[in-house]
Amino acid sequence: MIELEIGQEVEMEFGGKAKVLSVIGSGGQGVVYLVRFNGQKWALKWYDINKMSKPAAFRKNLQNNINDGPPSNKFLWPKYLTKEAEDGTFGYIMELKPEGFDSFVDILNTYKLEVDPLTGRGVKRPVKFNTLSAMVTCVINIVNAFRQLHRAGKSYQDLNDGGFFINVNTGAVLVCDCDNIAPDGSNFGIGGKPGYMAPEVVRGIAQPNVQTDKYSLAVVLFKLLFRGDPMEGEKVVKDVCLTESSELKHYGQNAVFVYDPDDDSNRPVRGIHDNIIKFWRIYPDYIKEAFIRSFTTGISDPTKRIIENEWQKLFIRLRSEIIQCGCGRTNFSSMFIHQNEKTFKCPKCGMEFVTIGFSNRDYRTPLYLGCKFYQCEIIPESDDFTAVAGELVENKLKPGVLGIKNCSDRQWKAKMPDGEFYDIAPGKGFPVWQGLEIDFGEVKAQI
Amino acid sequence: MSNEHFTEPEVNENQNVSPLDDFDNAETVSAAPKSDNSILDFDDDPLSATSVSKKSLVIFFLIDTSGSMKGKKMGELNTVMEELIPEIRRVGEADTEVKVAVLTFSTEVRWMYSNPIPIEDFEWARLRASGVTSMGAAFKELNHRMSRNSFLNSPSLSFAPVIFLMTDGYPSDDYKEGLRELQTNSWYKFGLKAALGIGQEANDNILAEFTGSKDTVVHAYSGGQLAQMIKIIAVTSSQIGSKSMTLSDDTGHEIGEEDVFAAKQKLLGQQIQELVSTKTDGDDVPFDTGW
Repeated sequence: MIELEIGQEVEMEFGGKAKVLSVIGSGGQGVVYLVRFNGQKWALKWYDINKMSKPAAFRKNLQNNINDGPPSNKFLWPKYLTKEAEDGTFGYIMELKPEGFDSFVDILNTYKLEVDPLTGRGVKRPVKFNTLSAMVTCVINIVNAFRQLHRAGKSYQDLNDGGFFINVNTGAVLVCDCDNIAPDGSNFGIGGKPGYMAPEVVRGIAQPNVQTDKYSLAVVLFKLLFRGDPMEGEKVVKDVCLTESSELKHYGQNAVFVYDPDDDSNRPVRGIHDNIIKFWRIYPDYIKEAFIRSFTTGISDPTKRIIENEWQKLFIRLRSEIIQCGCGRTNFSSMFIHQNEKTFKCPKCGMEFVTIGFSNRDYRTPLYLGCKFYQCEIIPESDDFTAVAGELVENKLKPGVLGIKNCSDRQWKAKMPDGEFYDIAPGKGFPVWQGLEIDFGEVKAQI
Repeated sequence: MSNEHFTEPEVNENQNVSPLDDFDNAETVSAAPKSDNSILDFDDDPLSATSVSKKSLVIFFLIDTSGSMKGKKMGELNTVMEELIPEIRRVGEADTEVKVAVLTFSTEVRWMYSNPIPIEDFEWARLRASGVTSMGAAFKELNHRMSRNSFLNSPSLSFAPVIFLMTDGYPSDDYKEGLRELQTNSWYKFGLKAALGIGQEANDNILAEFTGSKDTVVHAYSGGQLAQMIKIIAVTSSQIGSKSMTLSDDTGHEIGEEDVFAAKQKLLGQQIQELVSTKTDGDDVPFDTGW
């Protein structure tokens, strides 16, 4: 392939030149450089067209994607194409990864290697989510990004752990490597890698599309939450050496989920898959059932795979079931004692948590100091899972009194201990008490 | 592929273990017991994960340290290997733990370290050249160590190893006998093999016998080429070796075992040839002149 030299200038399609400053990284299809263009720094992906089966069609598709623009701001989307070199070589520029984002790979590794420039030695720096809420928000963000992409009629094609940057403090997500995104049904030569690819793609009987994206998405979500490979258990480990044919077998022809309820031949192995064994115990049944469906019936029947909207609902629920106890224990309500229908109890310190029932949910949500609910949870038509609508706070003037603050821009009504409903304007709040009822508009809630 | 491919000849002789038992080992592979779902176990923080279980890849460097390597060749080789280690560090990513083992052969055969070392901790110990070229003995030693009971003892899954041979001369022992032994080893069979001939004396045909094809044999006639070729082979082979196979797109039919057999080795051959053809550095003084 023709690599670019540091200092070399690359002509852009619509004029101007991008000057190569350094190499950022290299992948299967080409090399990514840091460049300066129009006084700003950008990332330039420069293709090795010898490795492409249809370079002209690939460039045309890239051009279409640039014209269409990203489905949302969660994508590091191609911005401008370069001029085609005489031999047909080309590239595109995109924005640089912003500060504060780590790669998904580093999160799975639990550390990132920072190389000391003098000695060349690597120093490990831990990378992990700051809060449980940030982790679940990240999952919701990933699911939402693919929902937006698929609604735009496009598929990502080679979804894998290299495709995301994540902010471990907030759960914000940036989808990168967007250059293989193509209209559903077309493919410009990318295959992907076993483990993330849908079994039918591994077997060569289907090309990547929206349905195969859904399989890959389930793998990404599983890896993020359970920190292991959903198809790598006893059956696979017995092969010792993962040759090409064993990959074809375990990820294509005969893929078996490690927790397939009807087939225990591929259970996780203690000492190797400890994360999965530990985390499978922690998550509530509705999350486990969604993965079981994805990786059992969803293996052979792509229409049975979980759609993004369904994942989004499940994970919004999961986030609302996080309990942060005063003793420091933070976990899902499934890991607290279900004292009675309306109360959870911390198994460690004994603290009790009342729950509130929303009229649009068939489960109850635990309340604790600092817990939040979001726009999408009280406004049926809202898809906004990041804007906080309400928060449980302590009254600043009456210490020890807990109440719910209206953080939204709508007026609510709340029932006070005198039995009357009062208007609660944005920024105001009301105490939590035994007979509390809240009227958010279309959605109501009751202790 | 069945399990008996990866047997350890020595162990079978001595302990009379059937090949299948070797890998159906109850100690290393046992499914997790049913969970008890006790919420009183407080080791349950959803955020306290360990790294995902990684596949293991060992890169074997077989390096000729015979007397003829003395001087510029050895100096160049030592330097490029030191520089190479940080480059290989980046290839494993989340899926693979890469380890390095270096076997040198001259009059004697010697490992740089007594075990494969994780690439993150690996430090190159500079090599010296003297003696003759016991390539056959090196093949035998490699065969001996490429076993689940020796260097390839990772409890989790392994990728087939990368084996990279570098030599500048004709073997001084019976390399064929050593190679025959090595060829019975399944890790070798499925491994990614590449070789670099250094200078005029190295015989590419012998190297092709070792790798199994001419595509994965390259030749360096100068210091600049030596550095380039070592980097090309080591980086390309560890990139391919540390990842799952990538599939071609236009199959049009269901892929069978025969389609994927040795797919990585073929890919390695293609990529090496491609890279070598774009990088020809003819300005350096050949190794064999000007002494």
